[in-house]
Amino acid sequence: MEAEEAIAVRRPTRWNEPMDASMDDAEVLWLRSREPFASLEAKSFPSSIPLEGILRNDCRIKRCEPGEIIAREGDYGHSAFLVLAGSTKVIVESLAPKQLGRSSSEKLSWFQAARQYLNHSGVREARSPKEVTTTTGSQSSRGSIRQIDDRPAIFLQDFNVVLKNQASVELGPGELFGEVAAMYRSPRTATVIAVTEATLLEIRWQGLRILRRDKRFATSLDEHYRTHWLNIHLREVPLLRYLPEASLQRVAEATQMRSFGRLEWNADYKRTRKLPIAEQIESEPIVCEAGRVPTELVLIRSGFGRLTQPHGAEHRTTAYLGKGHIFGLEELSYNSVRPANTPLLTLQNTLRAVGFLDTLFIPAETFADEILPHVRRTELPKNAASLLLQSTEERAGNEANQRQLARQPGVAASDNHEIDSETGTAFQQTGLLEFIVQNRLNNGRQAMVIDLHRCTRCNDCVKACSDAHDGNSRFARQGLSHGRLQVVEACMHCSDPVCMIGCPTGSILRDKESGVVEIHEPICVGCGTCATACPYENIRMTEVFDRQGRPYRDVATGLPIVKATKCDMCSKLPSGPACTTACPHDAIARIDLTNSKPLQEWFDLRS
Amino acid sequence: MPIPSFRQRRRIAIGLTLSALVVMFGIVWIQTVRLADVAVLTGGTLLCCVLLLALFGMRRRIPILPLGNVSTWTQVHIYMGFFTAGVYWMHVPNLIGNGIFECTLSIIFLLVTGSGFYGLYASRALPKRLTAVEGQHRFERLDWHRGQIADHARNLLEELSVHIGIPVLGSFYKEHLNPFFNSRPSLTYVLVPNDGRRRKLLSELKDLERYLENEGRRTADKFAALVRRRDDLDYQFALQLRLRLWVTFHSILTFALVTGGLVHSLLIFDFLR
Repeated sequence: MEAEEAIAVRRPTRWNEPMDASMDDAEVLWLRSREPFASLEAKSFPSSIPLEGILRNDCRIKRCEPGEIIAREGDYGHSAFLVLAGSTKVIVESLAPKQLGRSSSEKLSWFQAARQYLNHSGVREARSPKEVTTTTGSQSSRGSIRQIDDRPAIFLQDFNVVLKNQASVELGPGELFGEVAAMYRSPRTATVIAVTEATLLEIRWQGLRILRRDKRFATSLDEHYRTHWLNIHLREVPLLRYLPEASLQRVAEATQMRSFGRLEWNADYKRTRKLPIAEQIESEPIVCEAGRVPTELVLIRSGFGRLTQPHGAEHRTTAYLGKGHIFGLEELSYNSVRPANTPLLTLQNTLRAVGFLDTLFIPAETFADEILPHVRRTELPKNAASLLLQSTEERAGNEANQRQLARQPGVAASDNHEIDSETGTAFQQTGLLEFIVQNRLNNGRQAMVIDLHRCTRCNDCVKACSDAHDGNSRFARQGLSHGRLQVVEACMHCSDPVCMIGCPTGSILRDKESGVVEIHEPICVGCGTCATACPYENIRMTEVFDRQGRPYRDVATGLPIVKATKCDMCSKLPSGPACTTACPHDAIARIDLTNSKPLQEWFDLRS
Repeated sequence: MPIPSFRQRRRIAIGLTLSALVVMFGIVWIQTVRLADVAVLTGGTLLCCVLLLALFGMRRRIPILPLGNVSTWTQVHIYMGFFTAGVYWMHVPNLIGNGIFECTLSIIFLLVTGSGFYGLYASRALPKRLTAVEGQHRFERLDWHRGQIADHARNLLEELSVHIGIPVLGSFYKEHLNPFFNSRPSLTYVLVPNDGRRRKLLSELKDLERYLENEGRRTADKFAALVRRRDDLDYQFALQLRLRLWVTFHSILTFALVTGGLVHSLLIFDFLR
């Protein structure tokens, strides 16, 4: 084995691989002559990342055929789209997965998995040249980034019929869509299809983030959201699902968008998590304070919130909130239906932004006039529901009849289900709750948790991970623990994956189907931005070698080639995550901590 | 369909195992009444069970194939182990076989069964004891942690500036603490971890206090904290080593049992032919 001999390769750099290699000066100039780019000020952008550079490298012009799905509901998008020509439509209602052409991601067959298992290189972090870079010595640049962002174009069958039967919003030239999903690292909330032959400018989020430095562009994005998306987002809130169109419009007009904390919350996290709990709670921006009369209903659009109550001299955590949760419903609904001679109910909890919190505020009057009359009584908090029942006692008989009717088969069967509580998640154990919020573990969608009362410390999970990754384990069995619960230092595939902020090439991205955050190594420049950004330190930078143990080195600088590595949920293995499959004692699980229910159920199974 | 809790799962599995044993016992009884040779039936069942039980070890080594969770295999392994012990009882005329080979095979079977039962107990009881100790240390890092504690203790003594305390703490360190921090735990401790050493050292440190100044006392307290940490570390070492050795012991004996069982079957078939 010649371990000392280095292999010369070219280290990838930002914009080394543009989004579309065929973008030329003429197209960039043409885009600069059109709105919104014509009115952008060049001096708003740093000299190292000029506007023309963004248009050339972070954008591509995409032509779509009629019926082509441009953005699918549920996909994790990395790009926004600006309509340049033609017509597109946003389908407001959800379409069936089959209509949207969803298919499971390609997995290895049994045979391939077994061959991979038996064919270990025996070298630490071994890679083939193709896995290291897109520009090997013998190959020229071929714009391979399209292999990641592109997928076979999917068409909506009989789209004219679908559009006829579904509520839709038309988007024409100059309109932008997909920016919310791209900027907030959230799944797309609606499907957009091309109605006619359309030309779009696709802007990846790395570019969009820089474009927002222009104030006018940032303001127009916010206005655009209010005009086109707010109604759709409000419609998706379960509490508002029975609102008539006119009421929803009035709610949208009255709604205010407010953000708290920093979007790049991970910058402060490492400092604040070491603070004593009381100090950390104090340091979090207050959204609404306990003891005050509620003036707005708060809907969480993204980020995390903490509910606290005074307990002795300090505050203690009572629940945490995430995307889709509502704050102030109990108090507002009670105040709206209470008898005139009873006092107003004040807020029982203080809502604080944990890192970053993006909210929609609906004024109390709007709530009382437009929303409350259309909320099912069973979905209201108990105190308000019982008050409503008392005031309408005489009509109880009629309502019982109506309920009986509704329970008959075929009568409004789909509307008869009740929604889960959306007002936050609370554990019985305050200590566990504070442990989760304190360490921001409620960000984890696939957190690896270990039941220490069942774990025999055999390390089979680590060995399995190692076997699944050519002898390189993607985690060590260590991490924060609370009582019998240990949260292992492995990628949690967060609901807000801050590691994706700042990746200059877009090599770290979410899988559109599974939501797994993956690293596409050939275009990873090894800058370490993701590893630094990950607040949980679950991404590691590793030097890579070929199968003979020879290190890869950059042809220009001679420095070793480094790649970001982390848990990939064994997404290609037919067995699923090897760590959980391999545990002989049911001690390990991947759990969605953004919601308390899975963890509670996991505890209940073993109690 | 809701996932059954561990308790429900245990009840179901025990019920199924007992039912299987009753059915097996019934078949054996009927065959005995018919004056048939039940040893072939019970022996064949026993061999199949042992082979299936041994497959678990192979499954553990191939985690990447979708052959079901290893935890599910463990449950099958546990209850099939109970069933196999029952079938063994029906198969053998005496607990230990008569001939040298049969005797050895019986002893191996009993050792595998015994170690299996102990493993079931250990895998349920020891993790709780490990969790109760402060710090979740990985086995392969324990030596490193020991070294850290020993270095820390040495530095504490070197940092001591009070003249009066140096001879007292220095000699105590040399005679008692240094051997404690710089050696691995004794075999007796590993076999039966207990807090005797810890209590002895802590009480002796306490006795030194009257000879020390304030700074010396603070250093003695820090030594006491290090003694506790080191003892916790040794406790983790003893329990984790026990869990590992048990798996190794059980696996090696299983291999011997499978080999012996197959040879035994071949001999019997040869005899029957």
